[in-house]
Amino acid sequence: MAADPGRRAVLAATAVLPLLVAGCRGTQALQAPPQPAPDVSRLRGAIRAEEQTVARYQGAVRLLRDGPAAGTGSQPATIATLAGLLAEHQEHLRQLRKRLVPGSPLAAGSAPLAAPARPALPATTRALLSYLGRAEQAASDWQFGQVPHVPASLAQLLASISASEATHVPVLRAAGGA
Amino acid sequence: MRGSRAASWVSPETRALQAALAAEQAAIYGYGVAGSHLSGAARAQATTWWLAHQVAADKLTAMLQSRRARPAPAAVAYQLPHQVAAAAQAVSLAATLEDQVTSAYLGLVALPAQSVRMLGAGQARAAALRAAAWRGSTQAFPGLAISG
Repeated sequence: MAADPGRRAVLAATAVLPLLVAGCRGTQALQAPPQPAPDVSRLRGAIRAEEQTVARYQGAVRLLRDGPAAGTGSQPATIATLAGLLAEHQEHLRQLRKRLVPGSPLAAGSAPLAAPARPALPATTRALLSYLGRAEQAASDWQFGQVPHVPASLAQLLASISASEATHVPVLRAAGGA
Repeated sequence: MRGSRAASWVSPETRALQAALAAEQAAIYGYGVAGSHLSGAARAQATTWWLAHQVAADKLTAMLQSRRARPAPAAVAYQLPHQVAAAAQAVSLAATLEDQVTSAYLGLVALPAQSVRMLGAGQARAAALRAAAWRGSTQAFPGLAISG
């Protein structure tokens, strides 16, 4: 997988300084915990949001495959639809993670991105699709809202991801969500 | 008085707005071609979105004028990405045009001015929705060339 040294270097540079400062820990130096640079915080926020979306879809696919209604009616088609959307979210996540520097003080110093808790999901297929549709719209709007606050190349990526997530909403509606 | 160097310098913002306008003008032309091969609901949809592209082009034109730039005029005809002789090709053309519009608006998202960025992001999202509606499928990164 091709690295992106230029962009990574920029984000790494913004992240390193507060952590170096925190590293010189005199007894009075640690009045406030080190804050990652705002760009990096927003990138991590975008990664976290995408991880939650992936977890929601994985849970939904599991529910349809193994839940009480498994194997009935249009479940296989619905599972295929959700698997397709899940694959796109996994692509989003991969691209966002590429922008974080692996092994950097940022990655080591701030809390690792913990695996998101398994989300509670509605039990019926229709309610599940509606829930996913609302979550997609909210995720799209959230990414959209980050666009003015991040560097140009990340803004383009987030705008594209926001657009992709918006296009998932009508797909979920067509699959049976309200 | 501006010297010739100053007159020939085009700001990144103007360049990106001109590129978005060019994509909108190509879409307006292409929707005209596509619409003539569509009927019923698809034709009505094409007409609605053709108008949306005209409104968007007018907005870009006004933005360029307010920045004292001369909006590039639309061409008389555009080279279409492929031949259109039937409804399926018309739909494919409309989807491709929307991809190009999405991409052009993402150019605005890279600019420093927040209002221009947000316009770009909003229009990119709208164009991606139209592209997905025509194509009947979605993309992970509308308007961006990202692989793996």
